[in-house]
Amino acid sequence: MGAVTYPNEKVIKFVDYNFVPVQIETSNTALVEQFKVKWTPAIFVLDADGNEAHQVVGFLPPEEFIPTFMVAKGKWYFNAEQHPEAQGMFEEVLREYPDSGAAPEAVFFMGVSRYKASHDPKPLRQAYETLMAKFPGSEWAKRAAPYRLIPA
Amino acid sequence: MALNICWLDDLAKAKEIARQTKKPVLLDFFNPQ
Repeated sequence: MGAVTYPNEKVIKFVDYNFVPVQIETSNTALVEQFKVKWTPAIFVLDADGNEAHQVVGFLPPEEFIPTFMVAKGKWYFNAEQHPEAQGMFEEVLREYPDSGAAPEAVFFMGVSRYKASHDPKPLRQAYETLMAKFPGSEWAKRAAPYRLIPA
Repeated sequence: MALNICWLDDLAKAKEIARQTKKPVLLDFFNPQ
């Protein structure tokens, strides 16, 4: 990450704008044990109380890092029930990085956020249909499978 | 624009800034070896 992704200009700008970045060496055994880190890179997105919104283990190139952590920030908004902001992040992933590995999760959480905001279950069914159409092999298509039972 | 990500090295400080700025913390564990 330090050689390829973090020096990338778009990544620097993205992180600076969206996050408070903190880097901890694995020699800090107290935090390593607290977060149960077994392999690096291990990257967490936390709220100000330390609650985890997202976790990634392993290398991500810049073109995957940005959409992955757009989804993470969307989940951070989602956890705070800031649904318009959450949906804005998921929409940006689907608009700017539609073929990224993070896109299926963005579709899933877009549907869930729209449901939570409206209490209308149709967005869950729409998320399932979009996942089956665009990402049928993804784990998120499997997780959305129960939503096929929701009337269209 | 910064030429590098301006990493903090103190999680407590990062959480305090996160509260003030209404941003999430990006916590990266790395092995310097």
